[in-house]
Amino acid sequence: MSQITSLFPRDWRNLHFTLIVFFSLLLIINVPRLNQFVSQTVVKTLYFPFFQLKNLFVEMGTISTENNLLRQKLAEANARISILQEAERENERMRSILGFEPPAGYSLLPTKVISVSYGGNRPVAAVINKGAHDSVSINQAVVNQQGLVGRIKEVMGDMSVVQLLTDPANRVAARISDTREMGIVKYRTGFGLMLDNFPVQGTIREGDQIVSSGLGGIYVAGLLIGQVEGVIRQPDEPFCEIELRPAALFSSVEEVFVLRSVNE
Amino acid sequence: MIRLLPYLLYLLLIAMHEVIWRDVTGLFFVALNLPAMIVAMVATYKSQTAAAWFGFLAGVVISASEPSLMGWHGILLAALGLAVYHVREKLNLESIYSKVLLIVGAVLFHNIFSGVINGTDRFFYTLWTFCLPSTAFTSVVAWIFFLFKERSVTAEKLKSVF
Repeated sequence: MSQITSLFPRDWRNLHFTLIVFFSLLLIINVPRLNQFVSQTVVKTLYFPFFQLKNLFVEMGTISTENNLLRQKLAEANARISILQEAERENERMRSILGFEPPAGYSLLPTKVISVSYGGNRPVAAVINKGAHDSVSINQAVVNQQGLVGRIKEVMGDMSVVQLLTDPANRVAARISDTREMGIVKYRTGFGLMLDNFPVQGTIREGDQIVSSGLGGIYVAGLLIGQVEGVIRQPDEPFCEIELRPAALFSSVEEVFVLRSVNE
Repeated sequence: MIRLLPYLLYLLLIAMHEVIWRDVTGLFFVALNLPAMIVAMVATYKSQTAAAWFGFLAGVVISASEPSLMGWHGILLAALGLAVYHVREKLNLESIYSKVLLIVGAVLFHNIFSGVINGTDRFFYTLWTFCLPSTAFTSVVAWIFFLFKERSVTAEKLKSVF
């Protein structure tokens, strides 16, 4: 017994050191599974929370980078979609233009609208990219695949100004497509496009198509102006008030045609 | 149990350094030897039993990824703690510089013997490229720590400078 106690000094301090050396030796001689157990315990209790934290930071960094990349790609995709949508719209317009035939004796000069000027809240004039150099001259009718748009009011070298039907100063001699009864189409501020000078005794219904009559020498006969939207017959008035829905959408004109006589 | 809490926190600090900070605190290719620095500091301020046990546990913690070297690292850091404690006791360190010098010795000791334990084949190359730069870097960090610990630098003093 005394031999055993002599191995462990009374001093607690030395017992501590002996224990440390003992545990170190146990770990050095690599007692089966002991090192593995200690290692796993240390990793699970001390390292694991920091591994998770590190992974979280790494993941956040990756997510942030990925997020920026995706945002960039999204912006690129949106831009591409906008371009494609614009191309699609242009394609649709071009398809509808393809089937558009000019009246007999006339040819179509395709032009692009480069600017639009407004009077109040509606467009009243448009500048197109063809002018005197392309044989455009004043008073030529301007149409698109929907119908009559206006007439050439001013001509420059490479551009011209189109007076739209929405300009109150523009008048078109017109007739009802079916009954051939006549009137004058003009734009009245606050009311819209109207058919004037149409007698109350005349035959007219909502939905009737109004076309140019050809009288007056500016507009070719048969160009679609619009449809009758409403007829108001005032008592004691010789003429009706006829509201029209224009065939052409003036707020979105982009491609128009100048009607040129083939003899010019 | 409460007395053990600071040591547990130091061990957590060492684990955190091993997992997260090692790359962040490294200056170019020079690594901070935080385990040796903490063991030396514990030995500077605490008892030799605490220094020895803490050194042993710190050695076990830093070699958790290499279980076969656990015992060697444990006994190395325990010996380091004891050595630092006895130098402290014999020399009765007072100034910050003497404490920093003690840290320099301790970290260099640990760096060299870690290399031996890990089986470095090019000893002098490792000494020049790793041991000495790491010792210098760790000593600077320890010096800054002692400046704050010994209240040579305080928040008030810093405010008065700026």
